[in-house]
Amino acid sequence: MITIGCDIGSLFTKAVMMNNDNLVAYKITRTTGNLGQEIDDFLSALSQTAGIDRKKVDCLAGTGIGAELIKSADFQEDIITCLASASAFYLPEVELTIDIGGQSITSILLSQEGEVENFMRNDKCASGSGRFLEMMSDKLNLQLSQLNEIITRANKPVELSAQCGVFAESEVISYVNQGEEVSNIIAGVCATVANMVVAQARRFGNVNYWTLTGGVALIEPLVKNISKKLSAKFIPFPHHPQLAGAIGAALLAGSE
Amino acid sequence: MYFAGVDIGSLTAEAVIINDGKIIGSEIISVLPNPLDSAREVMNRALKKCGLNFPEIRFIVSTGYGREKLQAEGMAQENKSEISCHGLGAFTLNPEVRTVIDIGGQDAKVIKVDGSGKLENFVMNDKCAAGTGHFLEVMSRSLGLSLDELGQISLDSKKPVEMSNRCTIYVETEVIHFLQRGTAKKDVAAGINKAMAERVVALARRVNPEKEIMLTGGVAKNVAVRSEIQKILKVKLVSPSIDPQLIGAYGAALFAQAKGTEK
Repeated sequence: MITIGCDIGSLFTKAVMMNNDNLVAYKITRTTGNLGQEIDDFLSALSQTAGIDRKKVDCLAGTGIGAELIKSADFQEDIITCLASASAFYLPEVELTIDIGGQSITSILLSQEGEVENFMRNDKCASGSGRFLEMMSDKLNLQLSQLNEIITRANKPVELSAQCGVFAESEVISYVNQGEEVSNIIAGVCATVANMVVAQARRFGNVNYWTLTGGVALIEPLVKNISKKLSAKFIPFPHHPQLAGAIGAALLAGSE
Repeated sequence: MYFAGVDIGSLTAEAVIINDGKIIGSEIISVLPNPLDSAREVMNRALKKCGLNFPEIRFIVSTGYGREKLQAEGMAQENKSEISCHGLGAFTLNPEVRTVIDIGGQDAKVIKVDGSGKLENFVMNDKCAAGTGHFLEVMSRSLGLSLDELGQISLDSKKPVEMSNRCTIYVETEVIHFLQRGTAKKDVAAGINKAMAERVVALARRVNPEKEIMLTGGVAKNVAVRSEIQKILKVKLVSPSIDPQLIGAYGAALFAQAKGTEK
């Protein structure tokens, strides 16, 4: 069975094609204001990459904040259900899935059967979100892909007193003006993100195994920081972590 | 005898010089990187306006960011919190005032005073940029308007947009999307001012605002925010007889007068 899962997030749009449980192809693009018109071409490009004609797709599921833009979708599924299904499918031992999205932080507590037992979502405040990290990295002229390497050079991470993204940005700028090392500033930013994430996740009590989804999951020092604060073991998502929502949608499409 | 108050904010610095309770000189400048430099500059300019020299000022009270430092460096003889200064300044201008809403560049405060002008209670938001001057600054930049224009232009709006977010960062994205979709600037501006007023009122409601209510700080000059606050609270705000941005420094000058004459 060939399925497509497409997750339109606030910052990035992700789509995957799956053949039963196997990931055949994926695509990631920046979400634009014009995505409604572009989404069809994007999905065709995905088919091309996979070498599978779109007519052969049995089911297409849409998810994410912009799910309704996918007119060709057979159904829409809630992002939390999609994240949970992807996590439960690959990582049955994981009890807590945290997703750092472009404009949200979501903690999902999973039952032993892999069902959503409880969840908490902050999409009201940018603090700690992907957008937050992106803003601070932009001010420091850093790409997210550079962070792993740069943070390892930090010897004394700065302390940010602000949680609000707007105020934290001013703080970052004043550290730059004071001549502080970029590595120490970005390490301080990541520590703030970790604090925000853990503050939310901790409300579910202690867990043994957790995973992180969303592009931010590729930043190892951040993952380590959260693991330490949660006193839980991190199990990495087996595919690109930014694809978790789309993969979950594709898996759910397969079970329809 | 001359007294002065100097108020250093996150974005602007103000100085007020009084003689017998009356303002004889005042100045507002954009802040310099160092509060002490800001204080010197704004004081010198205010002094120049009324033709006085520094030594002629009998007592100076500092308030705002770095107020302790200004006192330690000898720029002021005493320092007072912005909350006390805005409370006293507003109450002195209008003794009917019981609630002062001060919206600064990076924070917002709601101050309650009793019938004798004494501080009763206050709430403050300095954690979240929504509902502070910074919010309007970010939005005016996105719209390519000055802060004054942001207020003016929205008065012509018949259909203010509804913001679905509160967070400054998310509202900024929303604003950009509205503009991309071709929504008129005035309608977006009106939606921004309305969102701003809603945050301020939410803060004010935590201390049960009582009449009369005065709006102080730079944002008080935004006509649209002012009128939205009136609409939501269903009260008429009292207008200060001086520039609302000067009220903190004026309150500091009044404290200086009280201190300086008691000695």
